Amino acid sequence: MSAVQSSGARRVGPAAGASPIWWLVFKRELGELWLGGKALYLMLVYTVLMGLYAWSLATNTELNLLPLKEMVFEMVKAAIAVSLFICLIVGAESVSGERERLTLEGLLLTPASRGELLVGKFLAAASPWPVALAIAFPYWRAVSQGDAVFERAALWGAVVGSILAPAFAGLGMLISVLCNTNKASMVASLAFYLVFLLPTTLAGPPKIQRSAALWLKQYLLEWVNPMASSNRFLQRVLIDNWPAADVGILLTMPVVFLCLTVVLLVQHGAPALRLEAGVAERVRPYWAWVAGLWHSTAGFASRSPSRG
Amino acid sequence: MYTRPREGVGYSGSALVEPEAKRGDVPESQASQPPILVAQDLSRSYGPRQAVRGLSFSLNAGRILGFLGPNGAGKTTSIRILTTILEPSTGSFAVAGIDHRRPEEIRRRIGVLPENLGFPRQMTGLEYLSFFGQLYGRGAGDARSLALALLEDVGLKERGRSLIGTYSHGMRQRLGIARALVNDPAVVFLDEPTLGLDPRGQQELLGLVRRIARDRNAGVIMCSHLLWEIEKICDDVVILSAGQVIVSGSVRDVIGRSQRGGIRVTVPPASLAEAQRVLEAAPEVTNVAPVPELPGCLRMDPANAGSAQDHALNNKVLEGLIRTGIPILGFGTEGGRLEEVFLQLTDKAIK
Repeated sequence: MSAVQSSGARRVGPAAGASPIWWLVFKRELGELWLGGKALYLMLVYTVLMGLYAWSLATNTELNLLPLKEMVFEMVKAAIAVSLFICLIVGAESVSGERERLTLEGLLLTPASRGELLVGKFLAAASPWPVALAIAFPYWRAVSQGDAVFERAALWGAVVGSILAPAFAGLGMLISVLCNTNKASMVASLAFYLVFLLPTTLAGPPKIQRSAALWLKQYLLEWVNPMASSNRFLQRVLIDNWPAADVGILLTMPVVFLCLTVVLLVQHGAPALRLEAGVAERVRPYWAWVAGLWHSTAGFASRSPSRG
Repeated sequence: MYTRPREGVGYSGSALVEPEAKRGDVPESQASQPPILVAQDLSRSYGPRQAVRGLSFSLNAGRILGFLGPNGAGKTTSIRILTTILEPSTGSFAVAGIDHRRPEEIRRRIGVLPENLGFPRQMTGLEYLSFFGQLYGRGAGDARSLALALLEDVGLKERGRSLIGTYSHGMRQRLGIARALVNDPAVVFLDEPTLGLDPRGQQELLGLVRRIARDRNAGVIMCSHLLWEIEKICDDVVILSAGQVIVSGSVRDVIGRSQRGGIRVTVPPASLAEAQRVLEAAPEVTNVAPVPELPGCLRMDPANAGSAQDHALNNKVLEGLIRTGIPILGFGTEGGRLEEVFLQLTDKAIK
């Protein structure tokens, strides 16, 4: 009897010793990501960027005047920012890319639950972070020039990145689940990334403002941005030598952001993992509601006595 | 468990097509079984547009059902509903007794070759099939053995360890069919399986489809635009137009519904006028006229409607021409083909 022939009694359930589906998907995604070359290429770019940044810190006369701890802090901040971007775009490509390559349908046709598929993809999307961290260590060590700040940088850089990297990978995946094309997914992800990144680069540290209210506003804006608050945490720990426990509150938002992303991915991403994203279908009821509200408001305004 | 394929089982087209006389008849063993797939009044809407309306049919194990329809008739949407990729707006269906509201259970029992299935280019055929075997709950070793056996069965044994990126279109289609079989499905859905294949590739694939139904006792639903292919290997047919079933039944019954047309004779264009004169004089035929778009072709109706398949009449028509020494380059009767039924019915539906 050939394999094309039926075995008679059809097998319908998983056999004993079968691997969990999330693990199978994770392994396949890792293979595609790393052996396929996509992640390797991104890591190469990351390594070059890190090298250039470390070189400029060491040779640029102005940057060279920075205290050692600040240089290490800048390197840690840069490594994390670039790693988050890599995790975000790997996540952003994970579902919409499969839609574009027409490989998603094959996966959706298996008995695997959507949640298990997403978990496997999520873990693979976060996989660039440990590699990026391993690449960053020698640079951090070189810049710290044997100072004890390297140990704190290695520990707290790893902690902060390990919270933020999966969160950004998850955010990218959420966007990817809702987009039919990679282009849309990448553009939306880039927009989100800039929303998080720009406040950390454009605005300086909270300064003493003329009023306490203004200072509080600035402080809150920084606190709600997980990238900004984790940068502040690293600054306090690495440069100001504050005990981590004293500024641990600054890691609240990164942790909340990670939890929120995972919950959204499981609760809303899994049911939305379909052959076509169908965002328009899901937005239509809300749009109809907004349009209705607009019409009724406009109608009310036109009947208003003040308008004559 | 499976065993190694039988020696000598190949896919050389000609030996794979069942005798025509057998098609359309439901064997007693199949007739006594409950249908493996039952669809009742399935509908699906995209906003205000109804892609599928009131789709009902059933499929027995071991039979091949052809799904036909013009572009946009709702074939792919119907397949996506039946394979649980889309939810029906109304109606229900069951596969092997499993209700459509248990999609994961249904997916364990079906195999699908979608119309446009993408493949990971960086995996080998063997890795690809092993991966899907594991997704269906097999252990790694078991999945690998199955993958090897399936690769051999679909004629890809020699290329199993090559990257899929190096496969031709035909090889990918065969790999797609192998993928659809990893779970030993009760129902196999094939959406345009021979699309883009050369004639030999088409023959080989059709043979494989026939064997899937016969050897696995699986129900097969096959979408195709190639009507000869449906006519050749399908037992039953459903013709859709504008999302609705316009005819269904065994291929033989559906073909029997076609209107019997006329007779066509092709002679050298120089002899056309003489041939027309001879035929107009024959009492067996009427309305003899040249076909403007086909040089040298004359079309006529049998004098008694419905007798175009009457071989005696056809012989008399030919005898008249032969006696006068006019060379006959071609002869044919209209009607009696699935293509004509399809064109008649879909034309009516569109009008």
